[in-house]
Amino acid sequence: MRVTSTGARGARGVARGVVGGLAALGLMTACAGGTGGDAEISTADGEVDGSGKTLTVWIMEGTNPDAEPYFEEVGAAFEEETGAELDVQFVPWAEAHDKFVKSIAGGTTPDVAEVGTTWTPEFADAGALVDLTGAVEDAGLADGLVPGLVEAGTVEDELYGMPWYSGVRSVIYRTDLFEQAGVEPPTTWDELVEVGEALEQQDPEMLAFPVAGDSEFGVAPFIWGNGGELAVEEDGSWTSAVDSPEAVEGIEFYTGLATEHGFSSPAATTWDEADLSDAFARGDVGMMVAGSWTPAALLEANPDLEGKIGAFPIPGPDGGLSPSFLGGSHLGIFNTTEDPDLAFALVRLMSTGELAEKWGDQSGYFPGTTALLEEIEAEGDPLVAPFAQQEREAGKSVPVTPLYGQVQGKKTVSAMLQEILSGKADAATAAEQAAAEMDEIFQRG
Amino acid sequence: MTTTQAAPRQEPGAPEPQERSPSPARGSGGGRLTPPWLPWLLQAPALLVLGGLLVYPLLWVVTLAFQDFNLRELRTGGFHWSGLDNFREILGDSTLWQVALPNTVVFAAVNVALTVVVGTLVAMLLLRLGPWLRGVLTGAIMVAWAMPAVTGTYVWVYIFDTSDGMVMRLLSTLGLADPDTTNWFTDRAAFFGIATLNVVHHGFPFVAITVLAGLLTVPKEVLESAELDGAGAWRRFWHITFPLMKPIFAVVVVLSTIWDFKVFTQIYLMPGGSGTNREVLNLGTWSYVTALSQNRYGSGAAIAVVLTLLLLGITLVYLRTLFKQEEL
Repeated sequence: MRVTSTGARGARGVARGVVGGLAALGLMTACAGGTGGDAEISTADGEVDGSGKTLTVWIMEGTNPDAEPYFEEVGAAFEEETGAELDVQFVPWAEAHDKFVKSIAGGTTPDVAEVGTTWTPEFADAGALVDLTGAVEDAGLADGLVPGLVEAGTVEDELYGMPWYSGVRSVIYRTDLFEQAGVEPPTTWDELVEVGEALEQQDPEMLAFPVAGDSEFGVAPFIWGNGGELAVEEDGSWTSAVDSPEAVEGIEFYTGLATEHGFSSPAATTWDEADLSDAFARGDVGMMVAGSWTPAALLEANPDLEGKIGAFPIPGPDGGLSPSFLGGSHLGIFNTTEDPDLAFALVRLMSTGELAEKWGDQSGYFPGTTALLEEIEAEGDPLVAPFAQQEREAGKSVPVTPLYGQVQGKKTVSAMLQEILSGKADAATAAEQAAAEMDEIFQRG
Repeated sequence: MTTTQAAPRQEPGAPEPQERSPSPARGSGGGRLTPPWLPWLLQAPALLVLGGLLVYPLLWVVTLAFQDFNLRELRTGGFHWSGLDNFREILGDSTLWQVALPNTVVFAAVNVALTVVVGTLVAMLLLRLGPWLRGVLTGAIMVAWAMPAVTGTYVWVYIFDTSDGMVMRLLSTLGLADPDTTNWFTDRAAFFGIATLNVVHHGFPFVAITVLAGLLTVPKEVLESAELDGAGAWRRFWHITFPLMKPIFAVVVVLSTIWDFKVFTQIYLMPGGSGTNREVLNLGTWSYVTALSQNRYGSGAAIAVVLTLLLLGITLVYLRTLFKQEEL
């Protein structure tokens, strides 16, 4: 439901952050210059004595519906191990980015924080995070980490975010409606259209596959699945690729589900992922692109859906899988910390072993280490296994550069989708505009 | 505005008060009682607060507008002067001329006019009501005024929801709109139409209450004698009420202009208003999206400076014309 981990913010979610939005310009100006020494981790694997000390920790609110008991347990385990106490603060996703930025400016960042994977390069580039490369190697953790998360946390060959958990989007569908229509989960794009048509025929009021205009991660699999890219890196500089023939064809197919096949509605043009989930929970939707963390929230919103929800990986054009955005969170250590060794001890505790596994179980996300991921896949839960397969076989990162954070901030991809869905431009033209906008940002550097 | 005007009123050297009984501060022996630094000392707390909360951020925004200032600079401090680069970028951007500026100016003009007209009409209605009804109606419009902009915006968005909002249901029952082909929020005119309803609804109570206060000061005898002379309601308003209340209308119009020019929340929170629908950006949302969503604080600040200058210019021209006429 929450776009979490991605930095994209649903309009509704922003509400709290924007109260007094007019003051925002004034606020941002109130901060000048930061502090922050260049903290380094010296002991990654040994005993750390933290008695009498307290670590401040920021955790995103809403990933785990009920995170407090979990962090009581973490606090107890940490105190047993090091003698230090934890001060855990929960920050809503929607206002987290602004809060991080302000605290970076004011030198008031926490010791350890959960950082959305697309923010890590941005904060690292600003010099706010501690380099974890050496510590992770010394602790013997480097080999078992989920590659997509490592890639997302690496800036100029140095790791700034310890993979904590990951999530991936696949397709969630209504098993009862599929059964009535006598269709099976599609394995190619043609089949996807056939299934959609069958659902529409069965119930014309049904939105067989709504295309949410304000969801960049909905279109990405179709660009990637068709062999396209959002942007490509060459010799350290990025160039947009959304206007390549492969990408445009993918975008055409995806938006065509709405404009050609009528599987969507005009209202969906301005939907974000939260609106999409709401519509699904109301029972109006046959299939939707959604994250592995969504089913629990759907069932909570509408218990009648129990037993009627399934998932399948996003199919490729002619079979196989289309890659989907692999998002999630890192644990980062901010360089304002007074005790980097103690901070790393906490990072290690939370991202490995029993506590990491428990977090995944409770939140519907996957752990950041491959060993734990394989364990989950083997269990074969029908609402979990398809996502695990998507993550393992076809998980992909958006361009790892702070500049892509600006592209996301400008909502370039969503703007492109809305242009096409509202009929203001065709896919090729809109993609060209988006590409030009990306290149402008990349060139400015 | 009001605060800055109020402060210098007691400034020594103003010729006016001399005719009245001299205040102890000014009397020959008064210096002993009130040294010249005392007024400043007494004002110091207020000036400090104003300076810290208003002047400092304002100056900081202006200096930001001349810098290449991003997240890195935000952390490490340091100045990267870029001269007029930010302004050059903005003035050369078609977003300014084709989207943000027209959206801001036209929206403000329409909304100020509507707010003042509706507010004045409501005030005149209130004037005619008995005390009890007036109380009820005043209470009702106060609720519209007191509602936070965020809440109000969500209510309007909910009412106009394109799949099952009540307006769409009504119109589709009447056969006037079709939810299968319509999304108001992607259409520039419809988008701002809904925003106008929201802003006028939120803004007219202030105008109504202020104008009512003014209307109560218009002497009844003058209006009555004019009526006896055969002047209709329309003439009485334009020839007696309006000239007497010109300062009140000036305040109401200037304040509404300021509010409607920098309208942000009501646009940003509407579907597509946060940057996905580029047609509906105004100077406020454009500045926010540039500065805070993209961490390009310098450019965002430059947009804010342009907005402020524009607003100052319009207010000055308006006040000048208004009071020049009066002097003649």
